[in-house]
Amino acid sequence: MTNPQSAPVLKVVDLSLRYLTRGGAVKAVQDVSFELAEGQALGLVGESGCGKTSVANCLMRLLPDNAQLVAGQVLIDGQDILSLTEDKIREYRWQQIAMVFQAAMNALDPVYKVGQQVVEAIEAHGVEATVSLARERVARLFRMVGLDPALMDRYPHEFSGGMRQRAVIAMALACDPRVIIADEPTTALDVIVQDRILRELKGIQQQLHMAVIYISHDIAVIAEVTDRIGVMYAGRLVEYGATEDVFRAPLHPYTAALMGSFPSIAGEKRVLANLSGEPPNLIDPPPGCPFHPRCIHATEVCRQEIPPRVQRGSQWADCWHPLEESAVPESVEAGEV
Amino acid sequence: MTGYLVRRAGQMVLTLFLIITVAFFLVQAQPGDYASFYALNPDLPPDVREQIRASFGLDKPLWEQYLIHLKNTVTGNFGVSFGHFPRPVMDVLIERVPRTAVLFLTATVFSFYIGFFLGKAIAWRRGGVLEYTATISGATLFTVFTPAFALMMIWIFSFRLGWLPVGKFLDPLVWRHADVTANHVFGQMLLTAFLFTVFAFLVLWALRKTGRVALARWAGPLIAVGAVVVLLLWSISSVGGLALDILKHMVLPIVTLTLISFAGTMLLTRNSMLETVREDYVMAARAKGLPEKQVRDRHAARNALLPVVTSLVYSLIFAIDGSVIIEVVFSWPGTGLTLLQAVRTEDLPLVMGAMVFIGLFSLLAHVIVDILYVYLDPRIRYQ
Amino acid sequence: MITPPNYTPVPGPGSEPPVMEVGHSRIRLLWARTRLALHSFRTGWSIFMESRIGVLSLVIIGIFAIMAVVHPILMLTIWDVDTYDPVTGYAFDQVNQPAAPSWRHPLGTDPLGRDVLSQLLWSTRSEFVLGITAALVTVAIATTVGAVSAYYGGIVDVFFMRLADLFIALPGISLLIVLSALFKLNLFYLALVIGILGGFGGTAIILKSQALSIKVKPYIEAARVAGGGHFHIIFVHIIPNLLPLSLLYMMFTVTSAIFAEAVLSFLGLLDVRMSWGIMIHTANTGGYLMGGTRYWWLVVPAGASITLLCSAFYLGGRALDEVVNPRLRRRHD
Repeated sequence: MTNPQSAPVLKVVDLSLRYLTRGGAVKAVQDVSFELAEGQALGLVGESGCGKTSVANCLMRLLPDNAQLVAGQVLIDGQDILSLTEDKIREYRWQQIAMVFQAAMNALDPVYKVGQQVVEAIEAHGVEATVSLARERVARLFRMVGLDPALMDRYPHEFSGGMRQRAVIAMALACDPRVIIADEPTTALDVIVQDRILRELKGIQQQLHMAVIYISHDIAVIAEVTDRIGVMYAGRLVEYGATEDVFRAPLHPYTAALMGSFPSIAGEKRVLANLSGEPPNLIDPPPGCPFHPRCIHATEVCRQEIPPRVQRGSQWADCWHPLEESAVPESVEAGEV
Repeated sequence: MTGYLVRRAGQMVLTLFLIITVAFFLVQAQPGDYASFYALNPDLPPDVREQIRASFGLDKPLWEQYLIHLKNTVTGNFGVSFGHFPRPVMDVLIERVPRTAVLFLTATVFSFYIGFFLGKAIAWRRGGVLEYTATISGATLFTVFTPAFALMMIWIFSFRLGWLPVGKFLDPLVWRHADVTANHVFGQMLLTAFLFTVFAFLVLWALRKTGRVALARWAGPLIAVGAVVVLLLWSISSVGGLALDILKHMVLPIVTLTLISFAGTMLLTRNSMLETVREDYVMAARAKGLPEKQVRDRHAARNALLPVVTSLVYSLIFAIDGSVIIEVVFSWPGTGLTLLQAVRTEDLPLVMGAMVFIGLFSLLAHVIVDILYVYLDPRIRYQ
Repeated sequence: MITPPNYTPVPGPGSEPPVMEVGHSRIRLLWARTRLALHSFRTGWSIFMESRIGVLSLVIIGIFAIMAVVHPILMLTIWDVDTYDPVTGYAFDQVNQPAAPSWRHPLGTDPLGRDVLSQLLWSTRSEFVLGITAALVTVAIATTVGAVSAYYGGIVDVFFMRLADLFIALPGISLLIVLSALFKLNLFYLALVIGILGGFGGTAIILKSQALSIKVKPYIEAARVAGGGHFHIIFVHIIPNLLPLSLLYMMFTVTSAIFAEAVLSFLGLLDVRMSWGIMIHTANTGGYLMGGTRYWWLVVPAGASITLLCSAFYLGGRALDEVVNPRLRRRHD
């Protein structure tokens, strides 16, 4: 499905971001690095408040006023987009990297026709010379995502949730972007529609040979459509690897807990582990491993020292007590220590 | 949508009914008897008195008088003015209502445009010098003691600078040898303004309908040419100088009313915009790589406009109240000044008539807002 | 299973705490509620104080409050009644009236020989009384109407909301002109009329929509399940939660009441002995206003006071709006 040898289209190096708030600086993203090749799909998972969306906003450079980039680079074909001027970044958005918004969250402007909102993006980048050519393009995109082109002249409130999601996908494809970020693309939809849209999105990705970043709190959703998976916790990437490897044998207890939080896709019998508590306050994160207050394996060293990186094949994790390959089901079943 | 409009129309009829009723009973409840005012008024010849007595049922019980009053009002019969005897109230009002309408509609359009423009600017760049200056000066103008401010405007622009006339509707010296009445000239001016607005809308609509960007660019010049033609026609006409005199008298009241009322729209737009800038579609617009101006105007401000239009009713009613004060200070012979003079001279039929017409203005405000809203929000349009 | 280290088990049915004495628990509840209110007041206060405009408005209101208090003290100490009474006084020490500001009359005298500063200070008190009375009437009506129509819904709601629509459509100043001319209103009746016009009008609609969002909160349901009557729920649970927003609209009502009084006095329609509006009315009817800057003390102090106090309450209301309505707040400072 993927050609691992192709050059990375997107490279994120040591990205750190914080938000300045009344209570102090929120360290939303810390030292996040990953690469993405053409045609590859990466999944970012974690609970809400773990920095996934902040990473996505960094990639689009859509940051609120109080955000402060501390360090890092976001390279697309070797060009660091964090150093671009405002004018340049405007060209880069949507042509290089586009976003599939969660449609339930009103990514479509209620006062314009849906087709018009896609045309607007095409016009802004001069992808098509005239309005009628742009409209033809929108019609093609609508067909690609399974919408009747006649729906172009309808308003968003006339669409169902699934139709809106398809329209948002069509909008993301408008300028042939190289990378697409899908932020919780199907969370608000019912399971059947969710499944169908994800499968179509995957088909489009393979057909157009794009790089896609899926962001979700639902690790099961991500498992079906990605090649790589990155697990985020407290603003850090805590585990990263090929999706099959991570799923077969997670290294980090947090990944195991996340997997336990959802019914297994394989259908094998497994105890549902509940992840209790909440992600830490990022203004004043706990010392040592940020996960230690919630981790059953935590020891004294976890509370004091930053954990080392453990490597296993292509897969790595930052943990003092990585899980053994065979130990996963047991540790999940073991419950209380 | 039909249901919505029917419901709104029903409400308006009810409101009008209430205003007529309130006006009637207020006048009835004031010290002194309304009927005897009519009966004892020495200005009225006996036969007129008899006629009024019959048509108003002044010798009948109160509730019957009220019903007759309702019927008379609906048919436009407000009786005869005491102060302007023997002119009927309706006659006095027909002359004065357009003058108020022009004052208040023009000022409202200006203040809405300025307020919306400034409001979106200060919401977009928060914390700047512009925000502080605009908020403080806007709020000061909004809460300024209107009569004192209006007098100050007169003092600066009429007395010190001498640019504009002191007040009133026209300059008698200019009109001394005129063979037409002021109402006639003013009526023609209104007709011109109306036709020109229709022309401008038609041009905009027709050029937009073609869907070609290159053609739409011609709308501005085309309307400008139209304006020049209209001005030329007026300047060569015999009443051009007279019209100019009326226009000169209009400037200061309109500017003053605009200044005191733009802040309401501005502050409202700011608040509304602060909410829309956080919406996902604004983020999506920015992500699409649209220029900032387009994100602001076409998405954030366009959606922020909806609640501002809803509250336009309040602004319009504020402007109606403002125009009453402005008319008094500038001696602008409109409905507000008529109302004040009527209450001072106890010209009760005229009081009732003027109140009903001021009430009609506020209903007009509601109608304007409803039409705008239906036009602006597709969610209502397709209900 | 992953559990936090400080996990405490939920008490089972067997381990309930001993039932407290009713009176005791009620005092505790009251205390807890007071503390909660104090806490939210303190947070709100700190946000309010962060807004420069809010602080400025508070300072201005404070200065006017001091002015209101100072007048009776001056009258009792250094000002004699014959010269300085705001209505009946006459400055015998001046030859020409109106006299320009001097040491004895810091803001000069009016055309009738009365001390302008004394008039200004004396009027401040009645402006406060008028504004606050009108605001209290408005808020008392609007809060009750809002809470009742949100709580009962149905026909009650329809009635009050249609009524509010009608009140909004009434042009206030015009109505007040007719009312005050025909009935010679005094300050108290004026406050009452303004209060009623505001209370049944727009303020009621806004408070009702707020009350609707309170109505669906779990504690209202809890109070209902616990057997609280309609009256109890409306007055003990809904209305206290409407108070912050009510306070906001009180500020705006004060502005409109002071403004309306000034306009009506300026037109000479009110039965009021002295007020800022009357001061300008006196100057205007005497023809002193078109003298421009020559007789500035006849119009500037009163005009500026009306404008300043109105803007102070208005801007204070807006700063309060940012406290009550977090969406307007800036994200950082």
